[in-house]
Amino acid sequence: MAASTTSQVYIDVIEDVMVKVRDEFVNNGGPGEEVLKELQAMWESKMMQAGAVLGPIERSAAAKPTPGGPITPVHDLNMPYTEEYETPTAEMLFPPTPLQTPIQTPLPGTGDNSTYNIPTGPSDYPSSGNDNGGNADGKGGRPAPYMKPPSPWMNPRPPLDVNVAYVEGRDEADRGTSNQPLTQDFFTMSSGKRKRNDLTSQYNSGGYIPQQDGAGDAALGVFEIEVNGGDISINSHHTISKAKVPADLERLTSRIPQLDGPIPYEDDALSTPNIYNYGEVFSEDYNISNTPAPPEVPASTPALVAQNEVGNDDDDDDEPPLNEEDDDDLDDIEQGDDQNTHHLVLAQFDKVSRTKSRWKCTLKDGIMHINNKDILFNKATGEFEF
Amino acid sequence: MATFELYRRSTIGMCLTETLDEMVQNGTLSPELAIQVLVQFDKSMTEALETQVKSKVSIKGHLHTYRFCDNVWTFILQDALFKNEDSQENVGRVKIVACDSKLLTQ
Repeated sequence: MAASTTSQVYIDVIEDVMVKVRDEFVNNGGPGEEVLKELQAMWESKMMQAGAVLGPIERSAAAKPTPGGPITPVHDLNMPYTEEYETPTAEMLFPPTPLQTPIQTPLPGTGDNSTYNIPTGPSDYPSSGNDNGGNADGKGGRPAPYMKPPSPWMNPRPPLDVNVAYVEGRDEADRGTSNQPLTQDFFTMSSGKRKRNDLTSQYNSGGYIPQQDGAGDAALGVFEIEVNGGDISINSHHTISKAKVPADLERLTSRIPQLDGPIPYEDDALSTPNIYNYGEVFSEDYNISNTPAPPEVPASTPALVAQNEVGNDDDDDDEPPLNEEDDDDLDDIEQGDDQNTHHLVLAQFDKVSRTKSRWKCTLKDGIMHINNKDILFNKATGEFEF
Repeated sequence: MATFELYRRSTIGMCLTETLDEMVQNGTLSPELAIQVLVQFDKSMTEALETQVKSKVSIKGHLHTYRFCDNVWTFILQDALFKNEDSQENVGRVKIVACDSKLLTQ
Protein backbone atom coordinates (compact mmCIF):
# COMPACT_ATOMS: atom_id res chain seq x y z
CA MET A 1 0.00 0.00 0.00
CA ALA A 2 2.64 2.45 1.06
CA ALA A 3 4.78 1.69 -1.94
CA SER A 4 1.89 2.00 -4.36
CA THR A 5 0.74 5.28 -2.88
CA THR A 6 4.31 6.50 -2.92
CA SER A 7 4.53 5.56 -6.56
CA GLN A 8 1.34 7.42 -7.33
CA VAL A 9 2.55 10.50 -5.49
CA TYR A 10 5.81 10.39 -7.42
CA ILE A 11 3.96 10.13 -10.70
CA ASP A 12 1.79 13.05 -9.75
CA VAL A 13 4.84 15.07 -8.79
CA ILE A 14 6.46 14.33 -12.12
CA GLU A 15 3.34 15.33 -13.95
CA ASP A 16 3.02 18.51 -11.90
CA VAL A 17 6.60 19.46 -12.60
CA MET A 18 6.18 18.77 -16.29
CA VAL A 19 3.06 20.88 -16.50
CA LYS A 20 4.55 23.79 -14.64
CA VAL A 21 7.84 23.96 -16.48
CA ARG A 22 6.30 23.47 -19.92
CA ASP A 23 6.06 27.17 -20.52
CA GLU A 24 9.75 27.57 -19.89
CA PHE A 25 10.51 24.84 -22.41
CA VAL A 26 8.11 25.91 -25.12
CA ASN A 27 8.30 29.67 -24.82
CA ASN A 28 11.08 32.17 -24.28
CA GLY A 29 13.35 30.39 -26.73
CA GLY A 30 13.26 27.20 -24.71
CA PRO A 31 14.47 23.88 -26.10
CA GLY A 32 10.95 22.85 -26.98
CA GLU A 33 8.35 20.23 -26.23
CA GLU A 34 10.51 17.32 -27.40
CA VAL A 35 13.22 18.06 -24.87
CA LEU A 36 10.61 18.26 -22.16
CA LYS A 37 9.28 14.85 -23.16
CA GLU A 38 12.77 13.47 -23.19
CA LEU A 39 13.30 14.83 -19.70
CA GLN A 40 10.10 13.22 -18.49
CA ALA A 41 10.87 9.88 -20.09
CA MET A 42 14.38 9.76 -18.65
CA TRP A 43 13.16 10.79 -15.25
CA GLU A 44 10.40 8.22 -15.22
CA SER A 45 12.60 5.47 -16.50
CA LYS A 46 15.16 6.20 -13.80
CA MET A 47 12.41 6.06 -11.25
CA MET A 48 11.29 2.70 -12.51
CA GLN A 49 14.83 1.43 -12.49
CA ALA A 50 15.14 2.55 -8.89
CA GLY A 51 11.88 0.79 -8.08
CA ALA A 52 10.40 4.01 -6.77
CA VAL A 53 7.72 4.07 -9.44
CA LEU A 54 5.76 0.93 -9.97
CA GLY A 55 4.82 -0.61 -13.24
CA PRO A 56 3.14 0.61 -16.35
CA ILE A 57 -0.42 0.59 -15.02
CA GLU A 58 -0.21 3.60 -12.80
CA ARG A 59 2.19 5.19 -15.19
CA SER A 60 -0.10 4.75 -18.16
CA ALA A 61 -2.92 6.26 -16.17
CA ALA A 62 -0.83 9.19 -15.10
CA ALA A 63 0.94 9.61 -18.39
CA LYS A 64 -2.09 9.43 -20.63
CA PRO A 65 -1.76 13.03 -21.73
CA THR A 66 1.73 12.43 -23.02
CA PRO A 67 2.27 9.93 -25.81
CA GLY A 68 5.42 8.76 -24.06
CA GLY A 69 3.31 7.21 -21.31
CA PRO A 70 2.26 4.00 -23.04
CA ILE A 71 5.56 3.54 -24.74
CA THR A 72 7.74 3.93 -21.68
CA PRO A 73 6.20 0.87 -20.03
CA VAL A 74 7.42 -1.16 -22.98
CA HIS A 75 10.94 0.02 -22.37
CA ASP A 76 10.74 -0.18 -18.61
CA LEU A 77 13.99 -1.94 -17.96
CA ASN A 78 16.42 -0.18 -20.22
CA MET A 79 17.13 3.47 -19.97
CA PRO A 80 18.76 3.64 -23.39
CA TYR A 81 15.59 2.43 -25.01
CA THR A 82 13.57 5.24 -23.59
CA GLU A 83 16.20 7.65 -24.76
CA GLU A 84 16.19 5.99 -28.08
CA TYR A 85 12.46 6.19 -28.24
CA GLU A 86 12.23 9.85 -27.68
CA THR A 87 15.51 11.02 -29.08
CA PRO A 88 16.48 10.52 -32.67
CA THR A 89 18.32 7.35 -33.39
CA ALA A 90 21.38 9.32 -34.41
CA GLU A 91 21.97 10.34 -30.82
CA MET A 92 21.73 6.73 -29.82
CA LEU A 93 24.27 5.79 -32.39
CA PHE A 94 26.85 8.25 -31.16
CA PRO A 95 27.10 7.07 -27.56
CA PRO A 96 27.25 3.38 -28.47
CA THR A 97 30.00 3.75 -31.01
CA PRO A 98 32.44 5.45 -28.64
CA LEU A 99 31.58 2.87 -26.04
CA GLN A 100 32.21 0.03 -28.43
CA THR A 101 35.44 1.39 -29.78
CA PRO A 102 37.09 1.78 -26.38
CA ILE A 103 35.91 -1.65 -25.40
CA GLN A 104 37.17 -3.22 -28.56
CA THR A 105 40.52 -1.52 -28.37
CA PRO A 106 41.24 -2.75 -24.85
CA LEU A 107 40.06 -6.23 -25.71
CA PRO A 108 42.42 -6.59 -28.68
CA GLY A 109 45.26 -5.15 -26.65
CA THR A 110 44.70 -7.54 -23.82
CA GLY A 111 43.99 -10.29 -26.26
CA ASP A 112 47.25 -9.68 -28.02
CA ASN A 113 49.14 -9.80 -24.80
CA SER A 114 47.37 -12.88 -23.61
CA THR A 115 47.64 -14.56 -26.96
CA TYR A 116 51.27 -13.65 -27.11
CA ASN A 117 51.93 -15.27 -23.79
CA ILE A 118 49.71 -18.24 -24.42
CA PRO A 119 50.96 -19.10 -27.90
CA THR A 120 54.53 -19.02 -26.73
CA GLY A 121 53.70 -21.65 -24.14
CA PRO A 122 51.96 -24.00 -26.56
CA SER A 123 54.43 -23.30 -29.34
CA ASP A 124 57.19 -24.15 -26.92
CA TYR A 125 55.46 -27.38 -26.09
CA PRO A 126 55.15 -28.59 -29.69
CA SER A 127 58.68 -27.53 -30.44
CA SER A 128 59.83 -29.38 -27.37
CA GLY A 129 57.81 -32.31 -28.52
CA ASN A 130 59.64 -32.33 -31.81
CA ASP A 131 62.94 -32.09 -30.02
CA ASN A 132 61.86 -34.80 -27.67
CA GLY A 133 60.95 -36.96 -30.61
CA GLY A 134 64.49 -36.59 -31.89
CA ASN A 135 65.78 -37.31 -28.44
CA ALA A 136 63.54 -40.28 -28.10
CA ASP A 137 64.94 -41.77 -31.29
CA GLY A 138 68.46 -41.53 -29.95
CA LYS A 139 67.76 -42.28 -26.28
CA GLY A 140 65.13 -44.95 -26.34
CA GLY A 141 62.09 -42.69 -26.07
CA ARG A 142 62.03 -41.47 -22.48
CA PRO A 143 60.34 -38.22 -23.42
CA ALA A 144 57.76 -39.83 -25.66
CA PRO A 145 55.55 -41.39 -22.96
CA TYR A 146 55.66 -38.30 -20.81
CA MET A 147 53.97 -35.04 -21.47
CA LYS A 148 55.97 -33.04 -23.92
CA PRO A 149 56.76 -30.06 -21.68
CA PRO A 150 57.63 -32.06 -18.56
CA SER A 151 59.57 -34.68 -20.44
CA PRO A 152 62.52 -32.51 -21.52
CA TRP A 153 62.75 -31.04 -18.11
CA MET A 154 62.48 -34.43 -16.42
CA ASN A 155 65.22 -35.80 -18.59
CA PRO A 156 67.92 -33.42 -17.31
CA ARG A 157 67.58 -34.33 -13.67
CA PRO A 158 67.86 -38.12 -13.78
CA PRO A 159 71.40 -37.82 -15.18
CA LEU A 160 72.10 -35.23 -12.55
CA ASP A 161 70.98 -37.69 -9.88
CA VAL A 162 73.49 -40.20 -11.15
CA ASN A 163 76.38 -38.03 -9.95
CA VAL A 164 75.59 -37.38 -6.33
CA ALA A 165 78.02 -34.56 -5.65
CA TYR A 166 77.35 -32.98 -8.97
CA VAL A 167 73.67 -33.33 -8.45
CA GLU A 168 73.83 -31.57 -5.16
CA GLY A 169 75.84 -28.82 -6.71
CA ARG A 170 73.32 -28.53 -9.50
CA ASP A 171 70.30 -28.50 -7.33
CA GLU A 172 71.79 -25.87 -5.14
CA ALA A 173 72.94 -23.98 -8.16
CA ASP A 174 69.49 -24.17 -9.59
CA ARG A 175 68.12 -22.93 -6.31
CA GLY A 176 70.85 -20.35 -6.13
CA THR A 177 72.03 -21.43 -2.68
CA SER A 178 75.22 -23.44 -3.10
CA ASN A 179 77.08 -21.65 -5.84
CA GLN A 180 76.75 -18.16 -4.54
CA PRO A 181 80.13 -17.09 -5.93
CA LEU A 182 78.92 -18.40 -9.24
CA THR A 183 75.80 -16.41 -8.83
CA GLN A 184 77.89 -13.39 -8.04
CA ASP A 185 79.79 -13.98 -11.23
CA PHE A 186 76.48 -14.20 -12.88
CA PHE A 187 75.52 -10.86 -11.50
CA THR A 188 78.52 -9.18 -12.97
CA MET A 189 78.10 -11.12 -16.15
CA SER A 190 74.42 -10.41 -16.20
CA SER A 191 75.06 -6.70 -16.06
CA GLY A 192 77.46 -7.11 -18.95
CA LYS A 193 74.96 -9.40 -20.67
CA ARG A 194 72.20 -6.88 -20.43
CA LYS A 195 74.24 -4.53 -22.53
CA ARG A 196 74.46 -7.23 -25.21
CA ASN A 197 77.44 -5.36 -26.61
CA ASP A 198 79.94 -8.06 -25.67
CA LEU A 199 78.74 -10.95 -27.76
CA THR A 200 82.34 -12.02 -28.34
CA SER A 201 83.11 -12.15 -24.64
CA GLN A 202 79.94 -14.11 -24.10
CA TYR A 203 80.92 -16.42 -26.89
CA ASN A 204 84.27 -17.01 -25.24
CA SER A 205 82.52 -17.89 -22.02
CA GLY A 206 80.29 -20.47 -23.57
CA GLY A 207 78.50 -21.28 -20.33
CA TYR A 208 77.14 -17.79 -19.91
CA ILE A 209 76.11 -17.41 -23.48
CA PRO A 210 72.92 -19.44 -23.36
CA GLN A 211 71.61 -17.26 -20.56
CA GLN A 212 72.62 -14.27 -22.54
CA ASP A 213 70.75 -15.85 -25.37
CA GLY A 214 67.70 -15.54 -23.25
CA ALA A 215 68.35 -11.85 -22.92
CA GLY A 216 69.45 -11.37 -26.52
CA ASP A 217 66.81 -12.96 -28.70
CA ALA A 218 68.10 -11.41 -31.89
CA ALA A 219 71.16 -13.49 -32.89
CA LEU A 220 70.28 -17.08 -33.78
CA GLY A 221 73.80 -17.87 -34.99
CA VAL A 222 75.19 -16.88 -31.66
CA PHE A 223 72.79 -19.27 -30.03
CA GLU A 224 73.96 -22.16 -32.14
CA ILE A 225 77.59 -21.49 -31.40
CA GLU A 226 76.86 -21.23 -27.75
CA VAL A 227 74.90 -24.40 -27.90
CA ASN A 228 77.87 -26.20 -29.31
CA GLY A 229 79.98 -24.97 -26.44
CA GLY A 230 77.29 -26.13 -24.07
CA ASP A 231 77.32 -29.55 -25.63
CA ILE A 232 81.02 -29.89 -25.14
CA SER A 233 80.79 -28.94 -21.54
CA ILE A 234 77.91 -31.31 -21.02
CA ASN A 235 79.90 -34.16 -22.50
CA SER A 236 82.68 -33.36 -20.12
CA HIS A 237 80.21 -33.62 -17.27
CA HIS A 238 78.95 -36.98 -18.28
CA THR A 239 82.41 -38.45 -18.77
CA ILE A 240 84.24 -36.67 -15.98
CA SER A 241 83.94 -38.00 -12.45
CA LYS A 242 82.71 -36.02 -9.45
CA ALA A 243 86.10 -34.79 -8.30
CA LYS A 244 87.24 -33.89 -11.78
CA VAL A 245 84.41 -31.58 -12.52
CA PRO A 246 85.11 -28.99 -9.84
CA ALA A 247 88.85 -29.57 -10.11
CA ASP A 248 89.04 -29.06 -13.86
CA LEU A 249 87.44 -25.72 -14.30
CA GLU A 250 85.31 -23.80 -11.91
CA ARG A 251 84.13 -21.75 -14.83
CA LEU A 252 83.10 -24.87 -16.71
CA THR A 253 81.23 -26.15 -13.68
CA SER A 254 79.58 -22.86 -13.17
CA ARG A 255 78.83 -22.62 -16.83
CA ILE A 256 77.83 -26.23 -17.00
CA PRO A 257 75.12 -26.16 -14.39
CA GLN A 258 73.39 -23.35 -16.19
CA LEU A 259 73.65 -25.16 -19.47
CA ASP A 260 72.75 -28.44 -17.84
CA GLY A 261 69.67 -26.95 -16.26
CA PRO A 262 68.17 -26.07 -19.60
CA ILE A 263 69.88 -28.76 -21.66
CA PRO A 264 71.07 -31.97 -20.06
CA TYR A 265 71.55 -33.97 -23.24
CA GLU A 266 73.35 -33.26 -26.41
CA ASP A 267 70.13 -33.58 -28.33
CA ASP A 268 68.53 -31.13 -25.98
CA ALA A 269 71.45 -28.84 -26.47
CA LEU A 270 70.95 -29.14 -30.18
CA SER A 271 67.34 -28.27 -29.66
CA THR A 272 68.34 -25.24 -27.63
CA PRO A 273 69.39 -23.25 -30.68
CA ASN A 274 65.72 -22.73 -31.42
CA ILE A 275 64.23 -19.80 -29.67
CA TYR A 276 61.22 -21.92 -28.93
CA ASN A 277 63.40 -24.36 -27.08
CA TYR A 278 64.76 -21.54 -25.07
CA GLY A 279 61.20 -20.63 -24.21
CA GLU A 280 60.70 -24.21 -23.15
CA VAL A 281 63.54 -23.90 -20.76
CA PHE A 282 61.79 -20.96 -19.21
CA SER A 283 58.55 -22.80 -18.89
CA GLU A 284 60.22 -25.85 -17.40
CA ASP A 285 62.19 -23.89 -14.90
CA TYR A 286 59.04 -22.12 -13.98
CA ASN A 287 57.10 -25.29 -13.40
CA ILE A 288 59.82 -26.94 -11.40
CA SER A 289 61.38 -24.22 -9.34
CA ASN A 290 58.48 -21.87 -8.94
CA THR A 291 55.34 -23.92 -8.98
CA PRO A 292 53.55 -21.80 -6.35
CA ALA A 293 54.12 -18.43 -7.99
CA PRO A 294 53.34 -18.27 -11.71
CA PRO A 295 54.77 -14.75 -12.20
CA GLU A 296 58.13 -15.99 -11.01
CA VAL A 297 58.34 -18.45 -13.84
CA PRO A 298 59.64 -16.13 -16.52
CA ALA A 299 61.97 -14.65 -13.96
CA SER A 300 63.19 -18.08 -12.91
CA THR A 301 65.22 -18.76 -16.02
CA PRO A 302 67.00 -15.43 -15.79
CA ALA A 303 67.19 -16.15 -12.08
CA LEU A 304 69.59 -18.97 -12.85
CA VAL A 305 71.74 -16.39 -14.57
CA ALA A 306 71.34 -13.58 -12.07
CA GLN A 307 69.47 -13.63 -8.79
CA ASN A 308 69.20 -9.88 -8.71
CA GLU A 309 66.86 -9.92 -11.64
CA VAL A 310 64.86 -12.63 -10.00
CA GLY A 311 64.58 -10.70 -6.78
CA ASN A 312 63.48 -7.61 -8.63
CA ASP A 313 60.95 -9.55 -10.60
CA ASP A 314 59.63 -11.14 -7.46
CA ASP A 315 59.25 -7.79 -5.79
CA ASP A 316 57.40 -6.45 -8.79
CA ASP A 317 55.19 -9.47 -8.84
CA ASP A 318 54.46 -9.27 -5.15
CA GLU A 319 53.56 -5.61 -5.09
CA PRO A 320 50.58 -5.59 -7.45
CA PRO A 321 48.62 -8.25 -5.59
CA LEU A 322 49.25 -6.47 -2.30
CA ASN A 323 47.97 -3.23 -3.74
CA GLU A 324 44.97 -4.99 -5.16
CA GLU A 325 44.15 -6.46 -1.80
CA ASP A 326 44.40 -3.05 -0.20
CA ASP A 327 42.09 -1.59 -2.79
CA ASP A 328 39.61 -4.35 -2.23
CA ASP A 329 39.63 -3.73 1.48
CA LEU A 330 39.10 -0.02 0.99
CA ASP A 331 36.32 -0.65 -1.47
CA ASP A 332 34.63 -2.97 0.96
CA ILE A 333 34.83 -0.39 3.70
CA GLU A 334 33.45 2.31 1.45
CA GLN A 335 30.65 0.06 0.37
CA GLY A 336 29.86 -0.67 3.97
CA ASP A 337 29.67 3.04 4.71
CA ASP A 338 27.41 3.56 1.75
CA GLN A 339 25.18 0.81 2.96
CA ASN A 340 25.13 2.23 6.45
CA THR A 341 24.07 5.64 5.24
CA HIS A 342 21.76 4.27 2.62
CA HIS A 343 18.69 4.48 4.81
CA LEU A 344 17.60 8.07 4.84
CA VAL A 345 14.70 10.10 6.12
CA LEU A 346 14.10 13.57 4.70
CA ALA A 347 11.51 15.60 6.50
CA GLN A 348 10.59 18.84 8.23
CA PHE A 349 10.58 19.08 11.96
CA ASP A 350 7.88 20.78 13.97
CA LYS A 351 9.39 20.24 17.36
CA VAL A 352 12.41 18.59 18.91
CA SER A 353 12.70 18.20 22.66
CA ARG A 354 14.95 16.37 25.05
CA THR A 355 14.52 15.16 28.60
CA LYS A 356 17.81 13.86 29.89
CA SER A 357 18.78 11.23 27.42
CA ARG A 358 15.31 10.82 25.97
CA TRP A 359 14.63 12.69 22.75
CA LYS A 360 11.24 13.33 21.20
CA CYS A 361 10.59 14.89 17.88
CA THR A 362 7.64 15.48 15.62
CA LEU A 363 8.27 15.47 11.92
CA LYS A 364 6.05 16.14 8.95
CA ASP A 365 6.05 15.84 5.20
CA GLY A 366 8.78 13.26 5.08
CA ILE A 367 10.27 10.96 2.51
CA MET A 368 11.85 7.83 3.90
CA HIS A 369 14.06 5.51 1.94
CA ILE A 370 14.36 2.41 4.08
CA ASN A 371 15.24 -1.11 3.00
CA ASN A 372 15.03 -0.06 -0.64
CA LYS A 373 11.49 1.19 -0.19
CA ASP A 374 10.28 4.73 -0.41
CA ILE A 375 7.71 5.59 2.21
CA LEU A 376 6.06 8.98 2.52
CA PHE A 377 4.51 10.29 5.68
CA ASN A 378 2.49 13.30 6.67
CA LYS A 379 3.47 13.14 10.29
CA ALA A 380 6.02 11.18 12.24
CA THR A 381 6.82 10.95 15.90
CA GLY A 382 10.24 9.92 17.03
CA GLU A 383 11.38 8.68 20.40
CA PHE A 384 15.09 8.17 20.69
CA GLU A 385 17.33 7.08 23.51
CA PHE A 386 20.73 8.67 23.42
CA MET B 1 7.01 30.49 -1.79
CA ALA B 2 10.07 29.29 -0.07
CA THR B 3 11.14 25.77 -0.78
CA PHE B 4 13.53 23.26 0.60
CA GLU B 5 16.12 21.63 -1.54
CA LEU B 6 15.92 18.85 1.02
CA TYR B 7 13.86 16.51 -1.10
CA ARG B 8 16.34 16.55 -3.94
CA ARG B 9 18.20 13.89 -2.00
CA SER B 10 15.25 11.54 -2.23
CA THR B 11 14.95 8.89 -4.89
CA ILE B 12 12.74 10.97 -7.11
CA GLY B 13 14.92 14.02 -6.64
CA MET B 14 18.11 12.10 -7.40
CA CYS B 15 16.56 10.64 -10.53
CA LEU B 16 15.58 14.09 -11.69
CA THR B 17 19.00 15.49 -10.88
CA GLU B 18 20.74 12.73 -12.80
CA THR B 19 18.48 13.27 -15.77
CA LEU B 20 19.08 17.00 -15.77
CA ASP B 21 22.81 16.48 -15.46
CA GLU B 22 22.84 14.22 -18.48
CA MET B 23 20.75 16.58 -20.55
CA VAL B 24 22.86 19.57 -19.60
CA GLN B 25 26.03 17.69 -20.48
CA ASN B 26 24.51 16.66 -23.78
CA GLY B 27 23.78 20.29 -24.48
CA THR B 28 20.08 19.59 -24.89
CA LEU B 29 19.25 21.60 -21.80
CA SER B 30 20.62 24.85 -20.48
CA PRO B 31 21.84 24.87 -16.88
CA GLU B 32 19.49 27.72 -16.07
CA LEU B 33 16.48 25.77 -17.25
CA ALA B 34 17.66 22.72 -15.35
CA ILE B 35 17.75 24.75 -12.16
CA GLN B 36 14.27 26.01 -12.86
CA VAL B 37 13.09 22.43 -13.16
CA LEU B 38 14.72 21.57 -9.85
CA VAL B 39 13.09 24.51 -8.12
CA GLN B 40 9.73 23.48 -9.53
CA PHE B 41 10.38 19.99 -8.25
CA ASP B 42 11.00 21.38 -4.77
CA LYS B 43 7.66 23.11 -4.88
CA SER B 44 5.74 20.21 -6.38
CA MET B 45 7.23 17.67 -4.01
CA THR B 46 6.50 19.77 -0.96
CA GLU B 47 2.98 20.44 -2.12
CA ALA B 48 2.34 16.78 -2.85
CA LEU B 49 3.54 15.76 0.58
CA GLU B 50 1.27 18.30 2.19
CA THR B 51 -1.83 17.54 0.19
CA GLN B 52 -1.67 13.90 -0.85
CA VAL B 53 0.06 12.13 1.98
CA LYS B 54 -1.91 11.37 5.10
CA SER B 55 -0.01 8.51 6.68
CA LYS B 56 1.60 8.66 10.07
CA VAL B 57 4.80 6.99 11.17
CA SER B 58 6.40 6.34 14.51
CA ILE B 59 10.15 6.04 14.84
CA LYS B 60 12.01 4.54 17.73
CA GLY B 61 15.63 3.76 18.14
CA HIS B 62 18.95 4.46 19.77
CA LEU B 63 20.16 7.96 19.01
CA HIS B 64 23.77 7.61 18.01
CA THR B 65 24.38 11.17 16.85
CA TYR B 66 22.41 14.39 16.94
CA ARG B 67 23.27 17.65 15.32
CA PHE B 68 21.50 20.96 14.89
CA CYS B 69 23.14 23.27 12.44
CA ASP B 70 21.68 26.00 10.23
CA ASN B 71 18.17 25.11 11.36
CA VAL B 72 18.62 21.55 10.22
CA TRP B 73 18.37 18.66 12.61
CA THR B 74 20.36 15.57 11.80
CA PHE B 75 19.85 12.36 13.72
CA ILE B 76 21.66 9.12 13.21
CA LEU B 77 19.74 6.24 14.72
CA GLN B 78 20.87 2.73 15.42
CA ASP B 79 18.54 -0.24 15.52
CA ALA B 80 15.64 1.93 14.53
CA LEU B 81 12.08 0.67 14.24
CA PHE B 82 9.72 2.37 11.80
CA LYS B 83 6.03 1.71 12.14
CA ASN B 84 3.13 2.87 10.06
CA GLU B 85 -0.37 1.60 9.51
CA ASP B 86 0.71 -1.01 7.05
CA SER B 87 4.01 -2.35 8.15
CA GLN B 88 7.10 -1.89 10.18
CA GLU B 89 10.72 -1.82 9.20
CA ASN B 90 13.87 -2.49 11.17
CA VAL B 91 16.99 -0.63 10.20
CA GLY B 92 20.42 -1.03 11.71
CA ARG B 93 21.46 2.52 10.97
CA VAL B 94 19.47 5.39 9.53
CA LYS B 95 20.02 9.08 9.10
CA ILE B 96 17.22 11.57 9.58
CA VAL B 97 17.58 15.03 8.11
CA ALA B 98 14.87 17.51 9.01
CA CYS B 99 14.49 21.15 8.14
CA ASP B 100 12.54 23.59 10.24
CA SER B 101 8.94 23.54 9.08
CA LYS B 102 8.40 27.09 10.29
CA LEU B 103 10.74 28.37 7.62
CA LEU B 104 8.25 27.37 4.94
CA THR B 105 5.26 29.02 6.53
CA GLN B 106 7.00 32.30 6.97
